[in-house]
Amino acid sequence: MLNAEPHRLPATDVARLIEGGELSAEAVVRSCLERIREREPVVRAWTHLAAAAALEAALACDKGATHGVLRGVPFCVKDIFDTSDMPSGYGSPIYTGCRPSFDASAVALPRAAGAILLGKTVTTEFANRHPGPTSNPHNPSYTPGGSSSGSAASVADFMVPLALGTQTGGSVIRPAAYCGVVGFKPSFGLFPPAGMHVNTESLDTVGAMARSVDDIALFRAALMAIPYERPVMPERPPRLALCRTPHWDEAQPEGRAVLEAAAARLGAAGARIVDKELPADCADISELQRRHSAYEAPRNHAPELYRHAALLSDDLLGNGRIAAGRKLSLDDFRTDWRRAERARAAAQEWAGGFDAILTLPAPGQAPKGLASTGNAIFNGLWTMLHMPCLTLPAGAGPDGLPVGIQLVARRHDDRRLIDIGLWVERELGAWR
Amino acid sequence: MSAPNRLSAAEAIARLGSGALTAEALARACLERAQEREGVKAWIWLDPEQALTQARAADRAGRPGLLAGLPIGVKDIIDTLDMPTGHGSPIYRGNRPFADAAAVALLRIAGATIMGKTVTTEFANRFPGATVNPHNPAHTPGGSSSGSAASVADFQVPAALGTQTGGSVIRPASFCGVIGYKASFGEFSRSGIKLQCHNLDTLGILCRSLDDLPPLRAALVAGPPQQIDRTVSAPRIGICRTPAWERAEPATQALIDENAARLAAAGARVREVNFAAPFANILEHHRRIFNFEAARNYAYEYAEHNALVSQVLRDTVLTPGRELPLAAYVEAIETAEAFRRHIDDIFGEVDVLLTPSAAGEAPLGLGSTGDPSFNSIWTLAWTPCLTMPAGNGPKGLPLGIQLVGPRFGDEALFDAAAWVETRLAA
Repeated sequence: MLNAEPHRLPATDVARLIEGGELSAEAVVRSCLERIREREPVVRAWTHLAAAAALEAALACDKGATHGVLRGVPFCVKDIFDTSDMPSGYGSPIYTGCRPSFDASAVALPRAAGAILLGKTVTTEFANRHPGPTSNPHNPSYTPGGSSSGSAASVADFMVPLALGTQTGGSVIRPAAYCGVVGFKPSFGLFPPAGMHVNTESLDTVGAMARSVDDIALFRAALMAIPYERPVMPERPPRLALCRTPHWDEAQPEGRAVLEAAAARLGAAGARIVDKELPADCADISELQRRHSAYEAPRNHAPELYRHAALLSDDLLGNGRIAAGRKLSLDDFRTDWRRAERARAAAQEWAGGFDAILTLPAPGQAPKGLASTGNAIFNGLWTMLHMPCLTLPAGAGPDGLPVGIQLVARRHDDRRLIDIGLWVERELGAWR
Repeated sequence: MSAPNRLSAAEAIARLGSGALTAEALARACLERAQEREGVKAWIWLDPEQALTQARAADRAGRPGLLAGLPIGVKDIIDTLDMPTGHGSPIYRGNRPFADAAAVALLRIAGATIMGKTVTTEFANRFPGATVNPHNPAHTPGGSSSGSAASVADFQVPAALGTQTGGSVIRPASFCGVIGYKASFGEFSRSGIKLQCHNLDTLGILCRSLDDLPPLRAALVAGPPQQIDRTVSAPRIGICRTPAWERAEPATQALIDENAARLAAAGARVREVNFAAPFANILEHHRRIFNFEAARNYAYEYAEHNALVSQVLRDTVLTPGRELPLAAYVEAIETAEAFRRHIDDIFGEVDVLLTPSAAGEAPLGLGSTGDPSFNSIWTLAWTPCLTMPAGNGPKGLPLGIQLVGPRFGDEALFDAAAWVETRLAA
């Protein structure tokens, strides 16, 4: 019995209803495509929509040709991932007409689990800063965040239940928070990176977006090719470390207010909440993240610099990471790498004292305008620490836009982080 | 003067720089050698006109850059804009990448001529290509960087790129009697290289002289070259037999012991180094990471082209990788990190480790590229390692010795290797 239009259903419901014969993949795909047709002129989330191929895949699915935990579930991928049957532009005019010969693993694995790829979503240039055309679905005058701009916007706008993003600084968690969806960045290396255009090898992390924690858990199983087990609601409320980070003075009032209110609410629901600062060895972790991605930029972008430097944005080249990276030496990189290892070891020990860290996913609501995708200051540190992160919408900002909270766990405690996310999601309820 | 194709990369660069040699003449000599010795089957793609066009362009431009027109071979899992990239698999026959890999672009920026693509095993894994050992075509050249090692050994090109996930640079270099170098993990960009295992894959260089390494390395890190310092004092050397020692053939065990004795006699402080007990099964952790990650990074090939994936890859890597529990993989990742800290500690007491490059000479036959055990350990450790030729084995094929340095100590490893080379030549 369906009460919602199919495009509004969570992935877990879509998969269950299709498996039970109560819903057809065709109906789901048609509903998503209709929603996209209606809303795309404003949201501009897509670089490529494979409507015909998706319908064909849906029909095949309905004939029983596909199986797996994501049977019939539509998804989209950031246009930083290679796809065998769709163009891959990486947000750069240099790659106009690029047709990769294979699917990235993060594309192939959901497909092998029965999911249907609707198309590619807007990324900033090479998952860096220079923005694409996507607007925030809650108010088109505001940025959706980036670099996984189209993925966050399309999920938030009920165009698709699941989306793939990538994070080198804050590119999954921040846009998810700005668009009011659930964003998950696993521990570094747990989602396979093959076929993701490299930004910074020591940081790049494939991430997932959905509208519920349950859906993240389902998507995660497919992305890791591991058996799916439903997340488990913790029996006891968690012990949470409220971490304002060294960047608290960069948080906006609504970011602070939503975090404090969430802490109070979770505390009232039984969570043990303690204020914690990062250990001393992590003091310069955000700076290390910036320097690492800067150092790698002129090296990883050598192909573009060699042939197409004029087509690189100033946000990346003259005024961006490439220029910054050229000022860094190999010795800087080595020193930073060693310091990052010490910081990770310290953070791992520190984070063992509680179940998860409660912190900000972004300074506040999405900034006005589309020229900047916002500030990643509350993300780079966790990316550099290789820790799993989960953002949930938790309140509204002064302009009615969503404001999120972020949960972070010890590296490799991804499963537990998702369980805790389930509890936090239930206790916080709807964000508006 | 010897034929240009016999010059080491460093010698060739010097002559290219002084004008004593043109890039075209060098490329021509290499191409002639490659044609004459086609039977080695080192190349999967070699278009003489394409190589000569690049060389002539370098000559016209005055042979700029650190590499001044030097021809370089590129393993065929590394993307090239102007040459097909087949990854050693029928799935990718005719595949034309849209861009160069970062490493290829960095070599071009430094003025190199990309000569062609060298044979790799299937996806830099086990299933062999057609390449034979140039010293004896009945024997494997090793793998997975088979064509890179064989072409350099056979004077068809002065240097080539290889990659190592298990033992794919050091082992073929040792089997073919050339220098093989695997950099510290993280220093050479892997962008545009077919990803097998994100925690293991490392780019490396095959060449014929230690002096070739600084300019090639500098090009790949886009930094200034640091010449080898031949005035360093005798290094503290640790003999590291590793938990794989029993797999080494008698000639290899003797080679390590004899060379250790000679280096001690030449003034090096030599001591035995053993891994702490928790790392006795470190190869098992390498295997877990290898299988778990490869099974996922080759998800597309596994799902969409299963019948075109070799049975050996499916049976030994992809299927066990799918079956390995996540917890076992995570345990391996965390053990590897502890192992790296342990190796860091060992390097508090020694400057360089001396260890076998391979179990022995290149095995007979082309069906297997040999045992990577003596390499996988160091790939997992993320340490720089280098193999150099050290005589011949009982079958008359090359043997190598491997030197391992501390993570991010690549330049000091070159210096120590030069010290060792000089003392062993004496």
